[in-house]
Amino acid sequence: MSTQLLVVDDLHTTFRTAAGLVAAVGGVSFDLATNETVGIVGESGSGKTVLARTIMGLQPRSNVEVRGSVLLDGHQVVGASEREMRERWATDVSMVFQDPMTSLNPVMRIGRQIDETLRVRLGMDKRAARARAIELLAMVGMPSAEHRYRAYPTQLSGGMRQRVVIATALACSPKLLIADEPTTGLDVTIQAQILNLLDDLKEQLHMSVILITHDLGVVATRTSRIIVMYAGRIVEMGATRDVFFRHRMPYTRALLESSPKVSNPSHTRLRVIPGRPPNLSTLTSGCAFAPRCSSASERCHQERPSLEPAEEPGHVFACWHPLAATELHEAPR
Amino acid sequence: MLRYVLRRLTLLIGIVWVISVGSFYLIHLLPGDPATVILGTGASPANRAILYRQLGLNKPIIEQYFVWMGNILHGNLGTSFISETSVASTIRTALPIDVELIVLSQILAFAAAIPLAMRSARKPNGVLDRILSAGSFTLLSIPSFIIIVLLVLVVSIKLGIANTGPSSYVSLGSDWVVNLESLALPAFTLAVGSFVIYFRVLRSDLIATLQEEFITMARSKGLRQRRIMWRHAFRPSSVALLGAAGVNIGGLLAGGFVVEYLLGIPGLGYTLITGIASSDYLLVQGIVLVVSVGVVLINFVFDFIISVVDPRITRE
Repeated sequence: MSTQLLVVDDLHTTFRTAAGLVAAVGGVSFDLATNETVGIVGESGSGKTVLARTIMGLQPRSNVEVRGSVLLDGHQVVGASEREMRERWATDVSMVFQDPMTSLNPVMRIGRQIDETLRVRLGMDKRAARARAIELLAMVGMPSAEHRYRAYPTQLSGGMRQRVVIATALACSPKLLIADEPTTGLDVTIQAQILNLLDDLKEQLHMSVILITHDLGVVATRTSRIIVMYAGRIVEMGATRDVFFRHRMPYTRALLESSPKVSNPSHTRLRVIPGRPPNLSTLTSGCAFAPRCSSASERCHQERPSLEPAEEPGHVFACWHPLAATELHEAPR
Repeated sequence: MLRYVLRRLTLLIGIVWVISVGSFYLIHLLPGDPATVILGTGASPANRAILYRQLGLNKPIIEQYFVWMGNILHGNLGTSFISETSVASTIRTALPIDVELIVLSQILAFAAAIPLAMRSARKPNGVLDRILSAGSFTLLSIPSFIIIVLLVLVVSIKLGIANTGPSSYVSLGSDWVVNLESLALPAFTLAVGSFVIYFRVLRSDLIATLQEEFITMARSKGLRQRRIMWRHAFRPSSVALLGAAGVNIGGLLAGGFVVEYLLGIPGLGYTLITGIASSDYLLVQGIVLVVSVGVVLINFVFDFIISVVDPRITRE
């Protein structure tokens, strides 16, 4: 389809480690339309970040095997060389990194970190790049941008640093912005500001956005679709409404139940998902969630369910014992 | 920043003062009587008393210190009893030779260490990295007096290249070509030791820096590897390198004596050795003072450079 900016097809990312092969991403397929925002949710270690970096072609080349296909704006990313990707990073796709404390160079003024990409990628001269960098800083809500242009990252708060990271990512007007847990390292009040900022900028700049998070609350109002990942695979995917209210996969429900809600009475204990995410180097042939799932059967341990369509269009899930669709008109407690 | 520099400067003055007291006291720790050294063993008590008055040795030690300190601040380090020349002028001719030798050796060392460390760090444990790491470790274990002897043997004697052997030193002012030729082998020898230190320090810091998230972010901005290496990785990786350079260069100020002595280059190290051999205490004292202050100053300068290179240091 020509309207799809991104088409990911059966993508595998496998690390060769001393402990053996680790299948961090194990056969992921989805697509993303121009100007759409999709959320990718899952626990730590579910392969979200690796997926994001593989889509961007940013994975280190050594000891990593990538199979499948990532068509970004019609061009294949899988197998592209660093040299080829260099021509596409920043202009076609860019990333907002998770931790603004570590993703900015500590010994470089923030202004230079923004304008070097303008100069290198867009060929701007020094003066134009500087003016544009200050403009970008103002756009991401940096107070007294002209003055802050000369600041070092250590002179800024976490929220301000993340604004710098966003300004850098947006510098060359990318078609796709991948935001990898952009608010995890920030205070709750700042989180909302940053997410709203990303939302506004997306509208303003007509970007597509992949918003990666472990917090369903973050994606609830800001995405059109949600992808739920577990152990490197998609286990449920659908329109945001459907995933919240008509989810079929027990893991999705468990994720929803483990996030606190205002409507809960005080001192309600949060439901936690028992056990921990599986070791990706020792995955079995069965459903990876089966060891932690209350409705798991013998079949779940033996045979992995594939993604099956639910009633709603575009809603798919992978489960042998799906939750009944009719019971779920309301979000779980 | 200014406060940081002022704080370091105060510390510097304190250290220099301690050094001055130390080297003043040094002469009083030495065995023997200066009158015996100057007048010989058969001197009469009257003559000895006159000499004591001339030298000011009859005054209290505190007063002697202030007189001595005042002279030093006026650039007067005394006159050697042995050579009967001014210690300050001896040092003034010897010191520039060391400065030149150090500058040459450091240019060589950095010019080799920085690009090679970058190449090595790009693929840690790659073929090149293994060769360079093993090679530098081997070099580290060869003392400089072996290196200089081997170099003289091969370059000056076997290859017969003129002006590179022992006793071929001429001053920079009289013939700079011959001067550079005569300093080539010692500069290279001193460079070897420095190179090994710089290469190893920078390599390991670069490897650590290249794994930082901000390097991945720099890649994602579409920057070339070369630019990432020089603009993003080198600066945050060079703090330990600069610290090592400060200590190392300070050490070379007097530590070059082995090559100087072997090749007859009249630098500070050479002069120090001959001074010790001839019991020329004033000369030794003067050199110790100059070298100690030099070491402190060099490290002060490098501390300052580090604070410019890594602005986090003055803030934290």
